[in-house]
Amino acid sequence: MIVARNVGVRFLFDRHRRVVTPATARLRRSGTETWGLREVTFDMEPGRGYALVGPSGAGKTTLLRLLASVLFPDAGSLDVKGRVASLLSTDAGLLGLLTGRENALHLGVLAGLSRPESRAAVEQVKERTKLGDYFDRPVSSYSQGMRARLGLGVADERDPNILLLDEVHEALDHEFRAVLERRAHEIVARGGIVVAAGHDHEMLSRLCSRGLWLEQGHLREFGDFATTRTAYLKAHS
Amino acid sequence: MKIESEVASRAWVRPRLAATRSQVRSTLDLLLALTQSDLRVRYGRGPGRILRWMFEPFALVGVYLILVTFVLHRGGHAAGLSLASAVVPFQLVFASVSNAMNSLDLRRPILLNMAFRRTLIPLSSVCTETVSFAASFFLIAFMMVVYLVAPTPAMLWLPLVLVINFAVAAAFAYAMALFAIWFRELWAFGLSFVRMMFFIGPGLVPLSETHGTANDLLRLNPLTGIFEAYRDLFYYGRSVAAWELLYPLGVALLLLGIFVPVYNREQRQFAKIV
Repeated sequence: MIVARNVGVRFLFDRHRRVVTPATARLRRSGTETWGLREVTFDMEPGRGYALVGPSGAGKTTLLRLLASVLFPDAGSLDVKGRVASLLSTDAGLLGLLTGRENALHLGVLAGLSRPESRAAVEQVKERTKLGDYFDRPVSSYSQGMRARLGLGVADERDPNILLLDEVHEALDHEFRAVLERRAHEIVARGGIVVAAGHDHEMLSRLCSRGLWLEQGHLREFGDFATTRTAYLKAHS
Repeated sequence: MKIESEVASRAWVRPRLAATRSQVRSTLDLLLALTQSDLRVRYGRGPGRILRWMFEPFALVGVYLILVTFVLHRGGHAAGLSLASAVVPFQLVFASVSNAMNSLDLRRPILLNMAFRRTLIPLSSVCTETVSFAASFFLIAFMMVVYLVAPTPAMLWLPLVLVINFAVAAAFAYAMALFAIWFRELWAFGLSFVRMMFFIGPGLVPLSETHGTANDLLRLNPLTGIFEAYRDLFYYGRSVAAWELLYPLGVALLLLGIFVPVYNREQRQFAKIV
């Protein structure tokens, strides 16, 4: 279950338009602020997929980062209950100089597994990602699709019940799109939540039954995905 | 009645102990994972990196040795060993600070993708540099052989001195990591300031060769106690003076007490600023 009440995320800028922390903003005094998300309220129920639609800069990535606890609300409250796995870019937290195996071990521990658990899960990641010999090569030599595959394999290590996807599926080849869709459907069928953002509405419609339309950081519409998508496309046509 | 309350309190304590134990284990796992990845990214793989760790302090001591013996004409007894006793502990502090100051850039993909205990990042920087620091002890051993200085029982103080060296490095790492976040354009100045601490301490010449006000002022530098403690162990072969441990430890605890909570508050903003 994910419950958001009047959630806001604020970005502070110095006079050179660089993002700064509140402490730096206090030290420097002169600067501006903008809200990446403002007064966003929704309930996401278990057993459903939610699609985020909106133009670039609408706040889709900010909302996903918030759900992943990568960002924290500057206003309102957010309650996320469940094991979260996030694929918020094709890099998916991967370090280019490490091999696929080293990244899998590293990210497994960062996600909350113990070292023995993460070590035990690495072979399964290799199996799932079908990277073959590439699994023991530096990630910097991978294509975007291979990175996304590894990211998905690593994200799956913790058996998540909340899966967050930010346009990552759009970098995957057809075979792995099918794998991702199957996995997302499994999570939803087991009572989990999938939240996906992207511009491939066909794929989103296969993953998600509900839609959130974001516009300049505000939640414009929340409801059935087909209806939300139609309203969004009509407004932007 | 009394037995019942004892049983109840034991039943309450056991889960708390188990929770603490699991918390400590997960912290250590996380620290180890961060350190291991950092080592791979910063120092690469294979025997080349060990050679680099071993010879980097040699290069530094070599430069200072030329400065002290030929330019300043202040060689003295076993000047190389005296210098190494300051350079080696300073390397840990300086490398940890430098690592902590750019640790957010290095971990950008992770910071933007998933939640983890980011407060441990500067501590993992110190752990990473401790590995290369351990290799640089070869320099001290080498200098002792060159100057025919025999080890003494005073070396038994080494574990305690190492702990304090680590604590000072961690304290500086947290403080300077925040400096790099708050004043990104002054990054190079911040690093130069830490380097300056070597020169406004008894880095090039031992404290015993300084006098008057200079001697008093040098003692204010928290690195002075550490440099002198290393000299006591390896150069003079005598026990460490209490102030050499307590003063740096006090400063380290004070800095950690101030900056770790601030860093913990600031880490909530990392995904916005990287």
